[in-house]
Amino acid sequence: MYIFTLIAFRNLFKNKSRTLILGGVVAGIALVMTVLLSLIQGIQSTMIHNGTALMSGHVNIAGFYKISSSSSSPTVTAFKELLEIAKTEVPEAELIVDRVKAYGRVISEMDSIQVPMWGVNFDQEEKNLRRLELAPIKEYWDESFWRQEKADATSETSLKNGERIEGRWDDLNSRGTLVLFASQARKLKVRVGDMVTLSMPTYRNISNTMDVRVVAVLRDLGLMSQFSLFLHADDAREIYQIKKETTGQIMLFLKDIKSVPLVEERLRKILAQKGYVMMEKEAKPFFLKMERVSGESWTGQKIDITTWEDETSFLKWVVQLLSSMSSILILVLLMIVVLGLMNTLWMSIRERTSEIGTLRAIGLQRRQVFLLFLLESFFLIFGGTLIGALLGFSLVELLNSFQIPLTIETLKVFLMSNTLSFEIGWVQIFQVFIIMLTFLLIGALFPIWQATRLKPVSAIQNVN
Amino acid sequence: MHPIELVNVKKDYLLGNVRVPALKGVSFAIEPGEFTVIAGPSGSGKTTVLNLIGCVDTATEGDVVIASKKTSDLNDRELTSLRLNTLGFIFQSFNLIPVLDVYDNIEFPLLLKKDLTPKQRKERVDYFIERVGLKNHRKHRPSELSGGQRQRVAIARALVTKPQIVLADEPTANLDSKTGQSIIDLMKEINSIDKTTFIFSTHDYSIMNQARRIIQLQDGMILK
Repeated sequence: MYIFTLIAFRNLFKNKSRTLILGGVVAGIALVMTVLLSLIQGIQSTMIHNGTALMSGHVNIAGFYKISSSSSSPTVTAFKELLEIAKTEVPEAELIVDRVKAYGRVISEMDSIQVPMWGVNFDQEEKNLRRLELAPIKEYWDESFWRQEKADATSETSLKNGERIEGRWDDLNSRGTLVLFASQARKLKVRVGDMVTLSMPTYRNISNTMDVRVVAVLRDLGLMSQFSLFLHADDAREIYQIKKETTGQIMLFLKDIKSVPLVEERLRKILAQKGYVMMEKEAKPFFLKMERVSGESWTGQKIDITTWEDETSFLKWVVQLLSSMSSILILVLLMIVVLGLMNTLWMSIRERTSEIGTLRAIGLQRRQVFLLFLLESFFLIFGGTLIGALLGFSLVELLNSFQIPLTIETLKVFLMSNTLSFEIGWVQIFQVFIIMLTFLLIGALFPIWQATRLKPVSAIQNVN
Repeated sequence: MHPIELVNVKKDYLLGNVRVPALKGVSFAIEPGEFTVIAGPSGSGKTTVLNLIGCVDTATEGDVVIASKKTSDLNDRELTSLRLNTLGFIFQSFNLIPVLDVYDNIEFPLLLKKDLTPKQRKERVDYFIERVGLKNHRKHRPSELSGGQRQRVAIARALVTKPQIVLADEPTANLDSKTGQSIIDLMKEINSIDKTTFIFSTHDYSIMNQARRIIQLQDGMILK
C-alpha cells in the first residue's frame, strides 16, 4: 500500500499544472458547497431559534377543547396538572412555560392587521423572549408619519449600538400591554406608547375588544414575524373569557434539542396512561388542524403533543426550496468537475500506458492497477475538497463576523433574518466530503476501469 | 524439465480486416541456465516470441509452456502471478517507474510478492544495487541517470525476485556499443553465477555472437 500511495502522490506532484487546475476546480466547488450548506443550516438554525421564541417550545403539550361537535378551541383545560406532569417526567427540560393562543385584529388609528397572538407570562419566560431584539425606531417609524411629535413626547428612547430604540420588554409584565414586530408597527403606523385595540372573535362567534398600549417593538424575523405578537396571558384569557386554569399550550424547552423525539414519545405514553385522550400525531401547526378538528364529532378535551418542527412546518418550504436550488447548482457544478476529472484521468492513463503495461508485466494485478489510479484520484479529490472546505469555512466565519445586513425585503422574508446568517459545523464539512468523494470517485471509476483492461503487450508496445 | 517450451506456435495479428501472420509455427525448448539469443531482422517475430514467453500475449495456435504451465490454460490473474514469480523483464526503453528512485524501482516487485520481511527486502535490494554498480545512485530518479545506468536498474529490478527466466527485448538497442557491451557482460556474469536462464532478442551481430545459443528467426519461422 505504501508504494502505491507513494506513486500516486509523486504522480500528482509530477503533473503539477494539471493537479493544480483540477484540484483548484474541486476546491472551488467544495467552497461553494460549504457556503451553501452553511447558509441552509443558518436558515434552519434561525428557524429553530426564532420559531422556539415565537410560536413553539421544543416540545409542546397542546390540544383542542370542543364545547360542541361543531366548534373547536386550541386550548388545554386544567393545565396545571399537565404542567406538574411535564416537570416531573421531563428532567431534560430547562424551561417549561404556558401560553394562551389568540387570533384577532389589531386596530390602530391608521390601519389594522389580522394576526395570531400569544398571551405570555413574561416573568416565566423572560430569558426566552429576550432572545428577540428590540428594533431601532428607524425600522418602523418614518418621519413622514403625522403623529411623530406626539409619540416622541410619550416614549423614552435609548441608544443601542448607536441606534435609537424605545420601549422595554419588562413592561409586558403589566396588563393592557402589547409587543409587536417592526413590520406590524410600520403597517399600523404606531410606535411605543401608542394605544391600539384588539378585537377577537370568541369561541361563540362574538367579538370582544380590549385597548392595549404598545410597550416594545421587535426586530423583524422575516416570514415568522408575520405570525406573532405578544400580549399579557391574562389579557388574552379576559378577551376570550376563559378560566385561569385554561391555557393554549405548555411549551417545553429542552437542554438538548436532539432529545425532542424521545421526550415527545415519552409524554404521549405517560399522558395516555394517565387517562388523557390523545390526538393522533400530525406534523402540522395547530391552526392547520383547527378545521379538521371542528368537523369531528367528539366533544371535550383532547391532548396533542407537538414539536417545534410540527409547529413551524408551514415554513419548511423555504428551506426545501433553497435546498433544491442549491442541490441543482451543486449537481451542475459536480457534473462539470466529473467530466474534467474523467478527461484528466484519460489523459493521464494515455500518457502512462507504457508504465501501466510495464507494471502489469512485472506482476501488478488488475485490481492493483485499479487501486493505484483510485488512490491518485482520491488524493486529488480529498486534497481539493479539504482546501475548498477550509476556505469555505474561513469565508463563512468572515461573512458572519461582518453581520452583513439584508437590504432586500424579499430576502429578509425568505431567509427569516435581518442579516446574512451562516452556520457551519462538522456536519456540513462531513457532508461536503461525502458528496465530493462519492460523486467524483464514481466519475473516476470508468477511466480507471479502462486502465485495468489495458493488455500488458499493447501497453508495452506503446513505447517499444 | 524445460523452463520454456514452444510447440508449433502461431501468432496472427489483425490489421483492420487483414490477418497478418507474425509467427508461422515456431517450436523450441530452452534448457535451465541457458544464455540464448533470439536473432533476426525487424519484423521477423523476435518481440512476438518474447511476448509469448513473457505471458503478456497469447498464441493464436500451439502451446507455450512456462515453468511446466501451459499459458493458454491460465486466466489473467494466474498469468500475472506467473510473471511475478517466474519471469523477469528487461525492456529496450528501460521502462522504469519515473516517479520512483533507484531503490524503490528495484524494490517494487518484492513489495508485490510479499514473501520477504522488510529487513530481508532491504538486504536483497542493497545486494542487487551493489551488484549492478549503482551504490552511489540509490536515491536518484530515472531522469537523473544515463541510459546505461537505467538499464542496470532494469536488470536489478528483473533479478531481484530471483526469477527462473529473464527476458530482455533488445536490451542494448538504446545504448552506445560500449555501454551495451557492459550490460551484456553483466547479464553473462549473472547467468554464469546464478544459473538464471536468459533469453534476449537482438539484431546486433556483435552481441549475438556472445550467446551460447542463437535462435534465428525470419518471417515468423526459425531458420536455425
